[in-house]
Amino acid sequence: MALTTNDVRGIADYARIALTDEELQEMTSYLNDAIELLEPIRAYDLTGVEPTYHPIGDLSNVMSDDQTDANGRSLTLDVALRNAKSTQGRAFRVPSILGNEDQKWPKGA
Amino acid sequence: MEGVDQLSAASIVAGIVAGDFSATEVARASLAAIDAREPHVRAFLQVSADLALEAAAATDARRAAGEPLGPLAGVPVAFKDNLHLVGTRTTCASRMLQDYESPYTATCVQRLLDAGATPMGKTNMDEFAFGSSTENSAFCRTRNPWDVSRVPGGSSGGSAAAVAAGEVTLTLGSDTGGSIRQPASFCGVVGMKPTYGAVSRYGVVAFGSSLDQVGPFGRSVADVALAMNALVAPGKDKLDSTSQAVAPGFLDGLDVPLARMRVGVIPALMEHESLSAEVREGLTAASAALEGQGAQLVEVDLPHMAAAIAAYYVIGPCEAFSNLARFDGVRFGYQEPGCATLAEQTSWSRARGFGAEAKRRQLLGAYLLASGVYDAYYYPAQQVRTLIVSDYATAFRRCDALLLPTAPTTAWHLGEVSDPTQMYASDLFTISSNIAGNCGVSVPVGLGADTGMPLSAQLQGPAFDDAKLLRIARALERGVEAAGRYAPGTVARLHGVTKEEVWPA
Repeated sequence: MALTTNDVRGIADYARIALTDEELQEMTSYLNDAIELLEPIRAYDLTGVEPTYHPIGDLSNVMSDDQTDANGRSLTLDVALRNAKSTQGRAFRVPSILGNEDQKWPKGA
Repeated sequence: MEGVDQLSAASIVAGIVAGDFSATEVARASLAAIDAREPHVRAFLQVSADLALEAAAATDARRAAGEPLGPLAGVPVAFKDNLHLVGTRTTCASRMLQDYESPYTATCVQRLLDAGATPMGKTNMDEFAFGSSTENSAFCRTRNPWDVSRVPGGSSGGSAAAVAAGEVTLTLGSDTGGSIRQPASFCGVVGMKPTYGAVSRYGVVAFGSSLDQVGPFGRSVADVALAMNALVAPGKDKLDSTSQAVAPGFLDGLDVPLARMRVGVIPALMEHESLSAEVREGLTAASAALEGQGAQLVEVDLPHMAAAIAAYYVIGPCEAFSNLARFDGVRFGYQEPGCATLAEQTSWSRARGFGAEAKRRQLLGAYLLASGVYDAYYYPAQQVRTLIVSDYATAFRRCDALLLPTAPTTAWHLGEVSDPTQMYASDLFTISSNIAGNCGVSVPVGLGADTGMPLSAQLQGPAFDDAKLLRIARALERGVEAAGRYAPGTVARLHGVTKEEVWPA
């Protein structure tokens, strides 16, 4: 069943990408074309075939001690904050998470 | 110094060691070539002249002090703009990262610099590597140096074009579904996608983490082999858990034809309906060239190849959606001003920061990973991956490498392919090696009779048989040269550019 613009609006909300009405039309038509391209995946009998999630098997999570890297690979505070548009002291600054109008992010800040 | 574009990487190093010219002279010659040709090619997003001259001066100082020089001493190199290099921006050709300063240097970049290479700058690409023509760059459209009315391929189009135009000697690109091999084919240079894990991905902006692999472009197989040595020589990179130790033996026996070389061909692919007549002719010539070098051609099959493109356009977008979630406008990247809430700021920063194709891929990934849809596509795609891995294992029991087309056609004109799903079809012959994680290389085999554009053949080899694959690629290159079809080291001729001072005949 083809995706509707309503479906795509929901996907875009989930993906946190705001779409204009024009983009919504374009993306709906694209997604339906792309899904058609993926149909061959359903043409094979895959019963009993194990999935391969990664070309290198036996991967496990790598943990390290919570300390700065002796080889200087840890970012300094200055470097870590350099690319952020809004900072305050040692922190990244963000607008209200819950949307309190009183804490409205000043325009252009 | 004249004619730096006529020199191989090894002869640049030898010339500097012998004192025939200095690394600074080579860097200045490369900068001059960039100045002269960039107005027509636009392969670069940033030219790092200061970093280049500083590195070249360091190389010259080492020589003057009698210290040993690295295997890439003074060789002008450039990096796709998704590879971090301190002192440059890493934009991924996206508005999202337009002013993002590299906070650290990628291992692959650092290894070339440690080998003595001279960093000339960062090259153009499709935004976040989404594309096959470099037209999805937010900043400029790179031209094919063989004919500036045509695309260079993509997504590593800037890296391919910079080498083809003779602006630099070596470049690095990244290949998630063919993004090194296809532009190499379009631009008439050698481009290698090493085995997954052979080259560290630390400092590479991620697209598809189980598919991405960094690799070199050069004007000959020998130059690519030299770069591969530098990329793997220091061993496994502790900063990338998928990095594997690979022996740096890429130049050993490179010129010695493999004894009992068996090359697999798949008749259904060699005569695939999507191939243009000139691409077919190039493949016939490639087969003959390999036979002339002692190869035995054997018929093999990859029966699940048709499902590979579907599996790729499931796995790639899903991994991309996950990886690109980090671009929320908070720690780095474009931030939409004047938003009342964090959610609003995130959605509008992503809406204004990403271009159309980056949005398409992420929306596709978001859809495919949704509850209920996952079981219909994502899980089967990983099962298809098992079938493709098994197809390759069966094929490689009967041959050392596979001979395939790289792309169905030669380079198309700017704007000629605008439908995204039609563009995806150009990856048909390259994606299966990303899915399986093995190695592949595109080698020029001549110029097309109809378009005059470079023709290439692709060789694919088993995982971690990269050195053997390059020996076979060298045999192909030698055979093609012996047939008078294409010489290693060829520089593109900037057809379509009328100003004679740019490209003297």
